[in-house]
Amino acid sequence: MKLKEIAKIIRSKNAGPFYCTFDIIFKDYSDLDMVLKQNLITPESISKIYNLPTSKIKIFEYKPAFAIKITIPRPVPSGDIEDTDIYGAQQHAPLLDISVQK
Amino acid sequence: MEIKALATAMIGYGLPKDSLERGIEKNPDFIGSDMGSTDSGPYFLGSGDIKDTTLLKKDLELVITAGLKKGIPVLMGSAGTAGTDVQLQKVIDIIKEIGREKSLHFKLAAIHSEIDKNYLKEKLKEGKITPLVEEKVGSYNPSLSSSDIDDTEHIVAQLGPEPFIKALKEGAQVVVAGRSCDTSIFAALPMMEGFDRGLNMHMAKVIECASLCARPSSRDAIMGYLREDSVLFESQNPDLKCTAESIAEHSLYERENPYYQVEPGGTLDMTESSYEQYNERIAKVAGSKWIPSPTYMVKLEGARKGGYRSLTMAGVRDPIMISQIDNIVEIVLNTVKSILDDYVYGKDYSIRFRIYGKNGVMNKLEIKKEITSHEIFILVDVVGKTPQISKSACTIAKQKLLHCHYKGILATAGNLAYPFSPDTIHTGITYNFNIYHLLELKDPYEVFPIEIINV
Repeated sequence: MKLKEIAKIIRSKNAGPFYCTFDIIFKDYSDLDMVLKQNLITPESISKIYNLPTSKIKIFEYKPAFAIKITIPRPVPSGDIEDTDIYGAQQHAPLLDISVQK
Repeated sequence: MEIKALATAMIGYGLPKDSLERGIEKNPDFIGSDMGSTDSGPYFLGSGDIKDTTLLKKDLELVITAGLKKGIPVLMGSAGTAGTDVQLQKVIDIIKEIGREKSLHFKLAAIHSEIDKNYLKEKLKEGKITPLVEEKVGSYNPSLSSSDIDDTEHIVAQLGPEPFIKALKEGAQVVVAGRSCDTSIFAALPMMEGFDRGLNMHMAKVIECASLCARPSSRDAIMGYLREDSVLFESQNPDLKCTAESIAEHSLYERENPYYQVEPGGTLDMTESSYEQYNERIAKVAGSKWIPSPTYMVKLEGARKGGYRSLTMAGVRDPIMISQIDNIVEIVLNTVKSILDDYVYGKDYSIRFRIYGKNGVMNKLEIKKEITSHEIFILVDVVGKTPQISKSACTIAKQKLLHCHYKGILATAGNLAYPFSPDTIHTGITYNFNIYHLLELKDPYEVFPIEIINV
């Protein structure tokens, strides 16, 4: 099963012009807990997807909203000449297909 | 004791009227509206342009007339998107125009937030400026020099709630500020009334996006009811609900860290915040704290000119062409180079091929390597040091791409489907963020002069 079949929200967005933040939100605590226990969202796994050193990846468990937040530096600042996504709103797609064991 | 804070969505995009009116009927203590953000990139900070003055005027008229009719203050921040002086002045002019047309008389306070370059160079020497991002990334360099400051088109600082309070104390009925921390607009009046700073900041952080925190989310107005021990959130669209979950979720939105939010003068601490359902449509938050900081820091934003942009864009449906796209891009790049090298222009341009259907959105981070679409869209993005270099490079690229011969070609009459004419577009100056630093202030008013205008 894939993350997109369990999570109710998977999104990305700028957190200011230099960071991109990803929110993976579940419908309840048990789904969050199931994903957390499988250790799927780690600095190591995110570093492979977004081609970054693990030291630059911040991951937060946010229980009030049954969520996992990932914050990474953008490859270039928003609106820089090499940027392809000013709002950072379409960088989440690779997270959708992370495999989860039900 | 309770403060009712009525927040609209961002001004300048056409505000939903019904929810604003519904909120007004509940006798709020003030109306707050955000007008800007860095979200849409560095262009508006660099250029000082306003997105759409017609929509802006319509929205301003709506909130100002509503506030004056009720006799409550109207507070607005980040004038004209980036809050530069030129944008603030445009907003002041529009407000005066509204006053004339509607025969309204009121005291307007305009708070400036554009920073004088010589002042900033002095602060740099004194060591009062520190980078928010410590590594060089793209065209941003954290080690700021005096000449970098000179090269910047506009530099603004995000003001805290204090200048808003000062403007209110001077009797302003309408306050329009340059670049503002989103929270300052909504936290000012409750702070003036002595409310707890933690809950106040949490309320401000939620309502600055209007009913985006409701389910379903929308741009309708929202009311924050700030009490001594809690804050309630109610969308002013009766079809929307604020739930414990939706408000907690909002702590994640567009933020690096869901537990802490650094603001001028301190940090909002949400580690012990509680979220509960108050009634069917209203959610309640308690337990948020404010940690004051020993120094008063504000965020600086600056944008510098990059070059001049020209674009050409078209679709491709031919599967043989699609299979050869990487080779074709190389041929086109070489052609542009070989033609321009012969001219005096030199090499002062760069070209990016954005291939939608391949990796146009994620570029080097794209994990799918094969094109599986039956059609692709090619955007050729040219930025040159002068408008002429950019135009010439784009014109050559367009023509070569249209008629490029590739391996296995059957369609020899043209490679591109252009959806419009002209086929090349010149969008003018590009900008990039070159200042994203913190500035330490002596007091919260130091760089934010207030101008009082009788409209």
